[in-house]
Amino acid sequence: MNETKYWIRDRLGLNAALAETVLTGFIRDAVETTRSKGVVVGLSGGVDSALAAALAAKALEPSRVHAFLLPYRTSNPDSISDAEVVAKDFDLVTTTIDISPMVDLYFENLAEGDIDKVRLGNKMARERMSILFDQAKKLGCLVLGTSNKTEILLGYSTIFGDNASSINPLGDLYKQQVWQLAHHLGVPQEVVGKKPSADLWPGQTDEGELGFDYTSADEVLCLMFDLGLSPSEVVDQGYAASVVDRIAAMEERNRFKRRLMLIARLSDSAINLDREIPRD
Amino acid sequence: MANKLTVGLAQIDCTLGAVKGNVQKHLSWIEKAREQGVELLLFPELSITGYRLLHLTSRVSCRIDESETIRQLADASGEMAVVVGLVEEGGQGVLYNSAVMLRAGQIVHVHRKLYLPTYGIFQEGRFFGPGQRLDLAPIAGEKLGLLICEDLWHPQLAQRLAAGGGKVLGVLSAGPGRVGSGETLESQEIWECITRSTAVVNTSWLLYCNRVGWEEGSFYAGGSHIVRPGGQILCRAANFQEDLLVATLDLREVDRLRWRLPLLRAERADIEGPG
Repeated sequence: MNETKYWIRDRLGLNAALAETVLTGFIRDAVETTRSKGVVVGLSGGVDSALAAALAAKALEPSRVHAFLLPYRTSNPDSISDAEVVAKDFDLVTTTIDISPMVDLYFENLAEGDIDKVRLGNKMARERMSILFDQAKKLGCLVLGTSNKTEILLGYSTIFGDNASSINPLGDLYKQQVWQLAHHLGVPQEVVGKKPSADLWPGQTDEGELGFDYTSADEVLCLMFDLGLSPSEVVDQGYAASVVDRIAAMEERNRFKRRLMLIARLSDSAINLDREIPRD
Repeated sequence: MANKLTVGLAQIDCTLGAVKGNVQKHLSWIEKAREQGVELLLFPELSITGYRLLHLTSRVSCRIDESETIRQLADASGEMAVVVGLVEEGGQGVLYNSAVMLRAGQIVHVHRKLYLPTYGIFQEGRFFGPGQRLDLAPIAGEKLGLLICEDLWHPQLAQRLAAGGGKVLGVLSAGPGRVGSGETLESQEIWECITRSTAVVNTSWLLYCNRVGWEEGSFYAGGSHIVRPGGQILCRAANFQEDLLVATLDLREVDRLRWRLPLLRAERADIEGPG
């Protein structure tokens, strides 16, 4: 293995205990500074929201963490049961709100056929975030973000949907660091280990839709964004040119989505603080 | 106790832009330090104002010779030398990131930060002007050199202070924390590498006072510490919490080490070559 790969592996490692201390401190500080009563978080059944909820439960009393399950009628039933397992493990009370009526009503009122699966998925993501902010207002809480560094850099998210939040403890963690920290905090293995999916349509998986796996994406992004290598230099490290080009293109095309977040900084390459890249 | 100096590092959290509350905190920590017999008390960089001020910088600045805040802190210092960090108004509309040493109602020394980091997360060059002078301050019949954070990353400053007779180097810092894969914080590892090597190559006591708390998503881990002139860490404050680190230093240890390890005496300015 060449020297750069050792470097990458080291940078993508994480001292999970220290990260837990810092990120629970981040949540506590944000809640105290804004004089909020706690946080609301949408639990999707996936690892990112499970980790955010787990951090919040450790940072605050679990009674100050309000978990919401926001299924659509096509949501995978496993997503709901996984979310319930996470809530139970971290002692969180959940509220379930079915978003199907509002999402369906919107599209029913449009012209026949004026719909596609990406727009439907975006609408679902924004409907959920709209509900979370409404509940946060009612409860005097902050909305906890659950986007990680990999998806923020790729722009693999719905702007003002899942990428919106009041505070985001995960935004400087690559996906594999999310896995490490979730494992450390005791997020159930069936959640940490399952194939990542936005569950916006049946059978959707992140890696299937992206066309590359998260491990490669993390490494390529780390080389380009953190360490400043050009795409061709990344290819020289042994990564497939097609994958590198696709990642580089996504990163560039979706920069506009990532200028509104307050991110807990862990590294020397936090997205909003160390690398303020203009959106145009 | 001739040749002994009791020092305190006030590892506090500072609220961004909230000068009044921060000053109150300084006053109560000065009292805490006095109870422990501290003779030299350091606060972190920009302790009065908070660090990541950006466009708030000019709103919290003061002319130190006219400032009510400074007068209040100077009066509270009594026989203790108290070093605070603040935004100093110079002439011609220049603001400085300064460390001000107060004792018995007087300003006894001012260090204006010489190297202003303006890269990555840091934006100091946009808001501050760089200082132009390096000086030593009197302490317990000996000399103290003060530096602010990035200044320590430019090793000729510490060397000049030590060569000029400084036996203690005090560093005020607002060093953002970083977590990586290692056992300790990445930020702490690199700082301790620099503080320890600075202490040993300059055979000086080194006091590193960092802050704690959060600003705009960036955290400060603390980890303030004192390094012996031989490079060993004497003591370290707790991480992630406010802490007053107190220790009594033997200033003669510097002389004894400089006899055994005459690095400063051997320094040469006449070597030809690049640079």
